Amino acid sequence: MDKLTLHATINGRAVTVETEPHHTLLDLLRDTLGLTGTKRGCEVGECGACTVLLDGVAVNSCLVLVPQVEGRRVTTVEGLAEGEMLSSLQEAFLDHEAAHCGFCTPGMLMSAQDLLDHNPAPTEQEIRAAISGTLCRCSGYVQIVEAIQDAAGRRRGTGDKARG
Amino acid sequence: MRPFRYLACASVEEACAALRAHAGRARVLAGGTDLLLELRRGDGPAPEVMVDISRLEELRGIVAGNGTLRLGPLARHAELAASEPVRRRAGLLAAAAGAVGSPQVRNRGTVGGNVMNAATCADTVPPLVALGARLTLRSAGGSRELDIADFFERPYVTRARPDELLVAIEFPALPPCARSAFVKLGRRNALSIARLSVAAVVDRDASGRITDARIVPGAALPVWKRAREAEAMLVGQAPSEALFAAAGRRTAELMIGETGRRWSSEYKEPVLAVLVRRALEACC
Repeated sequence: MDKLTLHATINGRAVTVETEPHHTLLDLLRDTLGLTGTKRGCEVGECGACTVLLDGVAVNSCLVLVPQVEGRRVTTVEGLAEGEMLSSLQEAFLDHEAAHCGFCTPGMLMSAQDLLDHNPAPTEQEIRAAISGTLCRCSGYVQIVEAIQDAAGRRRGTGDKARG
Repeated sequence: MRPFRYLACASVEEACAALRAHAGRARVLAGGTDLLLELRRGDGPAPEVMVDISRLEELRGIVAGNGTLRLGPLARHAELAASEPVRRRAGLLAAAAGAVGSPQVRNRGTVGGNVMNAATCADTVPPLVALGARLTLRSAGGSRELDIADFFERPYVTRARPDELLVAIEFPALPPCARSAFVKLGRRNALSIARLSVAAVVDRDASGRITDARIVPGAALPVWKRAREAEAMLVGQAPSEALFAAAGRRTAELMIGETGRRWSSEYKEPVLAVLVRRALEACC
């Protein structure tokens, strides 16, 4: 079948890669680019483990076909840190022990990133709504919500924004 | 996922030409949130050609003017939920769009896709039926308009021809004092498919009597329609819990009449009645 040469910006870096139209963004990130921080969960848009930012908004990468990424900006969990320096959102997750098994964590972080980029002072309800598209089977969500509340406060101090 | 040929369209004309040229073997790609699931399941014949309309600016947008609201089919659920004109003059639609799936799904899924996919559980369709929406379909041969209430043949099957593209959804804005609601019952509070839903509109006169009532159940009937007999019970009356409960029961009777008694009826019948009552109460 047809090959496709994709040009996109991934975590702030221009990328040109050979792929095929029927591959998803999730396939591209994990299998072609080796960015395995984004997780393969249900692959039907019902768990949020594959959440990334596409042009700054949270999407299920399992539901985006690669041709739709042409010319667009993608941010994955690997794009949150600056080198070795974790973002304040990631630090807050660590400080609040918001990652238990860690499988939902990349999806949670990316949904939280979208929220904080667009709403720097979210209410608890807004936080819960923002993460409602990612399922966590371990934590009961409490520590995740607390981490995001904390991160919102920290970010207002430092003005963090993810690369990409 | 089975491979396919991919076609990025630069215009509606190109998309229509592609749909005509590949009659029946093409699928239209917009948000992809239903289509990719279908492709993964591998039901039915593999599409040969994927016609991507997602970059067509002319199919985007929410335009309010002259007492009507006009939606491009590519309007995303997140956009509808946040749109000030939709929230103000078609609140039930904003609520329904805000109830679809999850934030991630709402950032991709489109109202046009929700309508064309025609799943019985579609969230935006009951509000669009309550709003009396008209759909514009375009093909290489021209354009036509249909009332949304006449658009569905049966679950998952619309009356659009394979070479037609949905290009606009238009409806009269609700009167400024009318109230509306959308209630959805799913197995979770988010990330869930509607097991039952209700779209409702209630308008009242200065004395508080109901002058207009619209009730459209979702995930309940083979094709969507207004519960006319339940609505008629309300017009001219003052709102009350008993009245709304009775309208709810009448709506549930409509469902049983249309679908017959099914395995789910023992649950759905009383529950739909309650959801209708709650939707009407939310309008008063």
